[in-house]
Amino acid sequence: MFRSSAVSLALGYTLVGVVALVLFAAPLWYAWQGIFGEGRAEIFQADSQQLADIFRREGPEGLKNFIDARVRMQIPGDRILLLADASRHRVAGNLSAWPDVPTTPGNYVARGGEGIEGFQTALVHVASLGRYSLLVGRDNRLLAPLERRFWYCLAGALTVLVIAGLLVGVITRRALMSRVESIRQTVSAIIDGDLTHRLPTPLSDDELNTLSLTINRMLEQIELLVHGVLNVSNAIAHDLRTPLAELRSRLEEISLIKPSREAAFAEIDGAVADVDRVIRIFDALLRLAEIDAGVRRSGFVAVDVADLAATAVEFYAPAAELRKIDLCLLCEGPVRVAGDPVLLAQALSNLIDNSLKYAPDKGRIEVAVRRRPDGAVEIAVGDDGPGISDAEKPKVVERFYRGDGSRGTPGVGLGLSLVQAVAKLHGSSLQLSDRHPGLQACFTIAAGPVAPPAPVADSDRGMPAAGRRAMA
Amino acid sequence: MKILLVEDNERVSQFVIKGLQEAGHTTDHAASGKDGMFLAASEPYDVIVMDRMLPGEIDGLAIIEVLRKAGKRTPILILSALSDVDDRIRGLRSGGDDYLTKPFAFGELLARLDALHRRAQGVNHETPLTVGNLHMDPMTRKVTRGDRQIALQPREFKLLEYLMRHADQVVTRTMLLENVWDYHFDPQTNVVDVHISKLRQKIDAEFERPLLRTVRNAGYMVTAAEGTRP
Repeated sequence: MFRSSAVSLALGYTLVGVVALVLFAAPLWYAWQGIFGEGRAEIFQADSQQLADIFRREGPEGLKNFIDARVRMQIPGDRILLLADASRHRVAGNLSAWPDVPTTPGNYVARGGEGIEGFQTALVHVASLGRYSLLVGRDNRLLAPLERRFWYCLAGALTVLVIAGLLVGVITRRALMSRVESIRQTVSAIIDGDLTHRLPTPLSDDELNTLSLTINRMLEQIELLVHGVLNVSNAIAHDLRTPLAELRSRLEEISLIKPSREAAFAEIDGAVADVDRVIRIFDALLRLAEIDAGVRRSGFVAVDVADLAATAVEFYAPAAELRKIDLCLLCEGPVRVAGDPVLLAQALSNLIDNSLKYAPDKGRIEVAVRRRPDGAVEIAVGDDGPGISDAEKPKVVERFYRGDGSRGTPGVGLGLSLVQAVAKLHGSSLQLSDRHPGLQACFTIAAGPVAPPAPVADSDRGMPAAGRRAMA
Repeated sequence: MKILLVEDNERVSQFVIKGLQEAGHTTDHAASGKDGMFLAASEPYDVIVMDRMLPGEIDGLAIIEVLRKAGKRTPILILSALSDVDDRIRGLRSGGDDYLTKPFAFGELLARLDALHRRAQGVNHETPLTVGNLHMDPMTRKVTRGDRQIALQPREFKLLEYLMRHADQVVTRTMLLENVWDYHFDPQTNVVDVHISKLRQKIDAEFERPLLRTVRNAGYMVTAAEGTRP
């Protein structure tokens, strides 16, 4: 228990409290002692002065009578008065003998013994009156209760402090342990595989709560990723099984029915096409995984998005022309961003390809690249096709999802999820909106530090020398 | 061409060797990094096909690095099952000239080897190109067939230039995507075919003998020869 952070914290505070209390009490004690001593010494001096006056006026006999009278009036044990002769024998007073102090004038502390019964220590003042010695004092016993009370108070305060400290420690530990325990239980449940659990976040605004909120956010991200992986593996299972099943039956059929040479070759060509389809899905998935892992962010260079868009539009222009689709580019001048040129080109190509699939003949596709006032660059591809219903919008970016309208069109259903992944890599997400009619797909690239255009980086990207675009 | 194949997988090796033989090339085969290194260093080859992951202590990239340090400039095509962009970059940085990911179509491999070989023989970007009666002057950007001038858009010019530089060789769609459009990904469409047919319209439509041919299951070829290659 002493290794608990709450308890050691409480103990630490208690110790500091004790030290503070002692530091506070010590000077008080010292000052108290000083003030008492000085006050008494003054009273004794005045007292002995008065007695000395009587001695001078009325002689030893007069003083003796005065002292006797005073001792009789006095409550015993309060004042100490003693007049002794040269041989220290009592002449008058309430002490039976001269105590263990010198007879030379001054202030002394007398130890107890004979004389007034029971006095232990006394502060005394000694004055010399001719042959006689006068001793005036006060028994410290009367001070003792006060002193005792001081010590008791101090001890009491210390005890209360320590107990309160321990109590606070234990209570804090309990409270902390109960919250840590609930977090521990939640985390255990998550370790066991149930990712839907979340840490409890009471409405307080303390450190644990802040931590819990952050951890919950992390858990959400993890759950999302795990779901993604699950979806992907389901989708792979489905989308790879189909061509693999076809391939298998094709090959089995050849060996079963032993067709003519020509027919066999045709079947084999079909089988190769099946394999190519599987490979394409594989490549697309690997690329998505690569983007999701974020490793490519290190490969960001200065990219002219306008140039990429122009190339993409020009690449698809003949295909658009065939169907009399007006594929146009809305863009002015170079628009430089920091990004991955290969992935941005692929994202643009996928968006245009997607629009081409859905735009009607004689339709229109607009590719727009513009820098927004906040510096971010917006890439939008819009068509006047049938669009996507609101319910379907979140689904189309899912891996392997293929809209109802896409049955029978080529593609593996990874196009928009790749755009989404590329958008995410560049700090945004793919937004789909209605154009009435049609669909606009748009994502932005945050304004970031743009590295100077580096032709070296271009060859670093691994393109064979002949493949590099002319640097004109 | 004399080709060295460094590849440990027996099936892949047989497939490649047979294919290269049929295409009229002589092929030496090394199944380990050690043998590969020895052959590559001692024999003169026109092109080397190097598998990246090899059994034993020497892997493909290490061999390439050693060869390049020793001053061997033989063009090398790296064959690899690693398709990450980073792997590709590492492969080309170590001194490889081209990179092909497994699994691959044999036609793709053959076309790339032809292109590598031709590139190694030195390309003069200024000499006019001629295939049959089709002429192209890269300096003036003039294209003529017979006595007729053909007007091409810049990208069409680039496409034709690439095809003519590799005349009598098969050029695959992937090679065109990479070299004409700088697209290092698979756009999953037949748009390249559309570009080719547009180009064909311009250079072949009104002539008896077509120069731009489609090679089934492989790609395209510009050639003045009769018929198509096997």
